Amino acid sequence: MLSRDAWAGLAVLAASLVLFALTLGLKDSPLVPIGPGFYPRIVLGITALFGAMLLVSEVLAQRGRQPVAPPMRDKLNYALVAISFAIFGLYVVSLPYLGFRIATVAYVAAANATLDPPRGVRGWARVAATALVTAFITHLIFERYLTVLLPRGAWTAF
Amino acid sequence: MFELLGAGIANIIQFKYLVPLSIGTLVGVVGGALPGITITMTVIVVLPFTFGLEPLQGLSAMIGVYVGGECGGLITSCLLGIPGKPSAVATTFDGFPMAKKGEPGRALWLGIWASIFGGLLGAVFLVATTEPLARMALQFGPWEFFSLFVLALSMVAGLAEGSLIKGLVAGALGLVVTVLGNDPVMGQARLTFGIRFLEGGIPFLPVLIGVFAFAQIMSEVERMGGAYKAIEAVDRGVSLAVSHLKVIGEILSRPVLLLWSTFIGLAIGVLPGIGGSAANMLAYDQAKKFSRHPEKFGSGIPEGIIASESSNNSNVAGSLVTIMAFGIPGDAVTAVMLGALTIHGIQSGPLFIAQNAPLAYGMFAAYIVAHALVLAILFPGVRWMLRIVSIPKAVLFPVVLVLCVIGAYALNNTVDNVYVLLVFGLCGYGMVKLGLPLAPFILGVILGDQIEINLVRSIMTDSNPWLFLTRPISGGLLIASVLSVALSVWQHRRQQKRLAAGGGEDADF
Repeated sequence: MLSRDAWAGLAVLAASLVLFALTLGLKDSPLVPIGPGFYPRIVLGITALFGAMLLVSEVLAQRGRQPVAPPMRDKLNYALVAISFAIFGLYVVSLPYLGFRIATVAYVAAANATLDPPRGVRGWARVAATALVTAFITHLIFERYLTVLLPRGAWTAF
Repeated sequence: MFELLGAGIANIIQFKYLVPLSIGTLVGVVGGALPGITITMTVIVVLPFTFGLEPLQGLSAMIGVYVGGECGGLITSCLLGIPGKPSAVATTFDGFPMAKKGEPGRALWLGIWASIFGGLLGAVFLVATTEPLARMALQFGPWEFFSLFVLALSMVAGLAEGSLIKGLVAGALGLVVTVLGNDPVMGQARLTFGIRFLEGGIPFLPVLIGVFAFAQIMSEVERMGGAYKAIEAVDRGVSLAVSHLKVIGEILSRPVLLLWSTFIGLAIGVLPGIGGSAANMLAYDQAKKFSRHPEKFGSGIPEGIIASESSNNSNVAGSLVTIMAFGIPGDAVTAVMLGALTIHGIQSGPLFIAQNAPLAYGMFAAYIVAHALVLAILFPGVRWMLRIVSIPKAVLFPVVLVLCVIGAYALNNTVDNVYVLLVFGLCGYGMVKLGLPLAPFILGVILGDQIEINLVRSIMTDSNPWLFLTRPISGGLLIASVLSVALSVWQHRRQQKRLAAGGGEDADF
């Protein structure tokens, strides 16, 4: 069974070899001594080499290693991370359709409620207030004072 | 030089510059004091606010964040025993025991004043060396620049914590990001997969924001919902009053410690990608080694606080030297500043000072004045900081991510940059989980284009590849790159042997 680092090395090796192969299709220009694929091939070749080194060093180290019990670690809440990423992903995808203000209110409320689930009316009021205040203040500062035009929604025109 | 600096100070104390500098310093102090929020994160949050400002206003705000953050981080280190940022970890070793012994005010102000002195000594170095170094770099041709960037990247990869190979892999992956998009000579599309947005290449700021913001926030989110709670060990009602003259006297009566720790901070700041977290630990370690009573370190003695704080603040000056003289970011914070310069159409590098003297000296002045502002904020506000740091992360994190979205979007008003932010946010978190260091990756992303351009220029000027080695400066820099990697390998092996001999004890500092 490969270790985490060995998998990382393997993934880097595979990805860089695939990209390296794609650079072989780039056509050289007669006007310049080096073509568009020259530098990418060097970089991807080096990356593949480092990926292979990581893979091999891990495999060799694993052979010499005595099997030990995994260290005791704090239980990490990966489900919360996945949900947080999903909420953020939805926010990013919805920005061009809902516009900054509506999407931000929805995102901040959802993220806040996920990270610290509200209890009772007061908790929900806190979530709503945080979301509305964040969207209002950021919109006010950036659009009014810093002349940064934030996204308008294709569906909402808001 | 002094005339320009005087003009810079006269400029920066004008209302239009002093306001963003003051706000930036205040935000930096608060961000630095918040455990789990680094200075990088704080400067990323401030970045979008600078888009609508003049370059000096925006950069002043960022310098304020940087200086304020370094000072703010010690507040929770001393009073709660929780470092506000990685560069204040060593401050906790003696600051917190001193506070627990009933001297919280002394611990706090020793740290603040040491930080101020370290920063101001760093300012002398910053002002005195940046211009001569930039002038020296003006003599460089594309061979030298190529070799300099390779050296920077190899040093960062070699000095990354943990494995050297992982550092090299991370740096190479950063370079891979820059090969996507049109080639810089003929503009031919390469590795764009038919995506039009990729033709212009991937802008580095959304990458940087995504990688750092998500790596940090999601690493904190992992621990949420558990039993983790901040320990409030020092009573909020306890007096923080102290005789400032006495505290200053305590610091100045140890001039060698102050100067040596400042020097360590500067040296580490000048080296790309290492940052204050290494500076404060190294300075603390050195102070302990040279002390006549090393056994007292960790029990609440002033030497530990002075060493840590003077080094981490002078580290800021070192980082600014590297970016202003060579265009190479010393750390993630200066990488964001580099992005801010680019947004305002200012080319960083050796020509920066020559072409933008008022801006460069304005930045020096902002750095100096920020120290006075830190004192002006902390004299009346240090007690309030303890209240501010209790802001729940469930509120803070979504707000920070909204500001990251604005920062990415406002670069050129396109949602595509926000998609880049999300993709590289996932990559950043994935890299943390795989144990790949972020600093070499980001430096690869930042320097990749410059490495390619200088490589192509040198080959188009003269196709003899040996020139990279036979030109003295270029050859010297490449030899230094090889030596830095060799040194890292040697250090890694020595550490492995020590671990094997010591049965794994004392693996961590």
